[in-house]
Amino acid sequence: MKQIITRRSFVLIPLVLAVLLILHPAAAMAEPPIKVGIIDTYTGPPTTYTYDVRDAFKVAIDEINAKGGVLGRKIAFTTRDDKFKVDICLSMAKELVMNEKVDILMGTINSAATLAISEYCKTEKIPFLVTFSKSDKITGEKGHRYVFSITENTVMIGKAAAVGLSKRPFLKYWITGDDYEYGHALADGVWGNLKKIKPQVELIGQSWWKLGEPDLTPYLTAISAAKPDAVIFATGAASMVNAMKVAKATGFAEKIPMFIHTATELSTLAPLGPEAPEKVMGTSNYHFYYPDTPKNKAFAKAFRDAYGRYPKVGALYGYLAAQFIAKALEKAGKMDREKFIDALEKMKIDSPVGEVAIRSYDHQAMLPMFMGVTKKVPKYSFLIASDIVTIPAKDVMPSIEDIKKARGK
Amino acid sequence: MGLSLPYGPAELVSQLLVGLSRSMILFIVCAGLSFVLGVLRVPNIAHGSLYMIGAFATYSLSILFAGSSGFWIALIFAPLVVVLVSLIAERALFCHLYQREHLMLLLFTFALSLIFGDLVKLVWGAEYRSVSAPGMLKGSISMLGSSFPRYNLFLIFIGLVVAIALWLFVNKTKIGKISRAAAVDRDMVGMLGINVSWVFAAAFVIGCYLAGLGGALVAPTVSITLGMDHTLIIEAFLIVTIGGLGNMWGALVGSLIFGVTQSFGVLILPQFAIVFPYAAVVIVLLLRPKGLLKSVW
Repeated sequence: MKQIITRRSFVLIPLVLAVLLILHPAAAMAEPPIKVGIIDTYTGPPTTYTYDVRDAFKVAIDEINAKGGVLGRKIAFTTRDDKFKVDICLSMAKELVMNEKVDILMGTINSAATLAISEYCKTEKIPFLVTFSKSDKITGEKGHRYVFSITENTVMIGKAAAVGLSKRPFLKYWITGDDYEYGHALADGVWGNLKKIKPQVELIGQSWWKLGEPDLTPYLTAISAAKPDAVIFATGAASMVNAMKVAKATGFAEKIPMFIHTATELSTLAPLGPEAPEKVMGTSNYHFYYPDTPKNKAFAKAFRDAYGRYPKVGALYGYLAAQFIAKALEKAGKMDREKFIDALEKMKIDSPVGEVAIRSYDHQAMLPMFMGVTKKVPKYSFLIASDIVTIPAKDVMPSIEDIKKARGK
Repeated sequence: MGLSLPYGPAELVSQLLVGLSRSMILFIVCAGLSFVLGVLRVPNIAHGSLYMIGAFATYSLSILFAGSSGFWIALIFAPLVVVLVSLIAERALFCHLYQREHLMLLLFTFALSLIFGDLVKLVWGAEYRSVSAPGMLKGSISMLGSSFPRYNLFLIFIGLVVAIALWLFVNKTKIGKISRAAAVDRDMVGMLGINVSWVFAAAFVIGCYLAGLGGALVAPTVSITLGMDHTLIIEAFLIVTIGGLGNMWGALVGSLIFGVTQSFGVLILPQFAIVFPYAAVVIVLLLRPKGLLKSVW
């Protein structure tokens, strides 16, 4: 009896092995995939931005894997929802590194959470690519060897707006916005730089509404009574929609030129549909219809084919992350974190918005900014940016002296 | 910066109208809150949530009935959605709690507001929503050289209509008179053989209808989002307090003070505009601690 079992198991073992081989040829023949862990907010209003990062990343990774991956290995990724909370975010990062054994981390849209993960990655020596947080501390004051930002930051937004506005004839400005840290940081960034480039500009007044102020009509009518040449709006996501609606309903946008960062971006214009005002100036890192290059068209088409919607600015960041990771791995020659960092900090890639390089000193991606004006076109159900002016990356990057100063060197 | 130059009459009039239109939304919501406070003695914190549900329902209904009449249909039916929700809440929960002390009711309605908030999140998600104003109320008209949004004029008109309708309801209808009597002495009303339970249910639902109506009316002017309930309910309680608890005309006076001081504050001292309505509240309460008009409490 005993002998029969043993003999039977001898037959079974190679049989089972053969089945396993047939079912998992990749597992048996190729090396395990390189793992990327993405932590981001996948619940609540931030998903307007974060879904596009993840989805474009997936499109780009699928493309890379279809061509055989990098270094003969595929790239795999796992996502975690941090619910926009710093503590959850940090524990997710640790979980990804310790349990999932990811080689590279990516995310998030919350600046405080990003800075927390960045600290963790600094001590653990894990490469971390920041995809949406706008704090200039990430690659500035708190920058280090293992963190990279492939998105704009508040300094870059301020500089781009200042460069764009300085070319227009406005002299008397009014500043208005959300009375909280981001609003004031944005306003200070724009105004400080504008005053530097064009000293004759004058700030004739400012008004700040409390965060979540439901009706902005009295603010806009009061501003139009002061008759400024132009108004700089420093608003976050929620009051952005309010400000645009009121600007349209009161006819404000028709009378007084207004600037809002991301007013021209699809994330703002798509939910407003035909309710968005025309003639509003805005800046953004990405438009799916501009620049009108084969590379951008192909990217927008691939995204639209996969998800049935147009790519927003987050899609550019997701695409860049995937390309930077793949190219840097190729150059590093193997999945070695230190070699990966060495390769990534000198990396240049071709992207839908032209060539994008990582600046070696602070690991900030050198992204151009596009300033445009909202306009109705028959082709789309939402407004688009027209008269787009490209502000090159060199004009918007924070100076290395400023970074040194911020880091106390 | 700081003190701005004096403005011409056109700017002052347009700023006054903007303030009045905001006051009207506040009045409609606060009249409901005050009515419930007066008749039922319930400080309903969930009133703000019903306002939010009204706004979200307006969004859904105007999507469902797309086209030029979508908003008008939503304006009629969205408050009725709120009526339904509040009727269920009243019959299932509130009607058992009227005799409890105020602190208990405060905690209960606060809990309810959190539950409503989560329900809204389940049903509508956490994204920002936007409703278009109907075609005829889009854009602005120019007056004395300054432009003014048509929709805000419509709000002022609706505010007046609601004020008149409320006056007629309270003074000329039987249920209005019973409600007023119940507010003063509910035991006596019961002794007269009137079913107080249903009078209370009706009063509660009418108050909540006004919250829903306010939410529907505000929808085209704001982004509809979670948290709009909390912003409103704080302002609403301040207004009801300065007007006189439970006095609907107090709600009107309080709303006018709140809305107009805010809009003129923004014009005169824009950097400190946030403070003005609250400063007005402090002054009123210092001078008249029980509110401007007679409180029924």
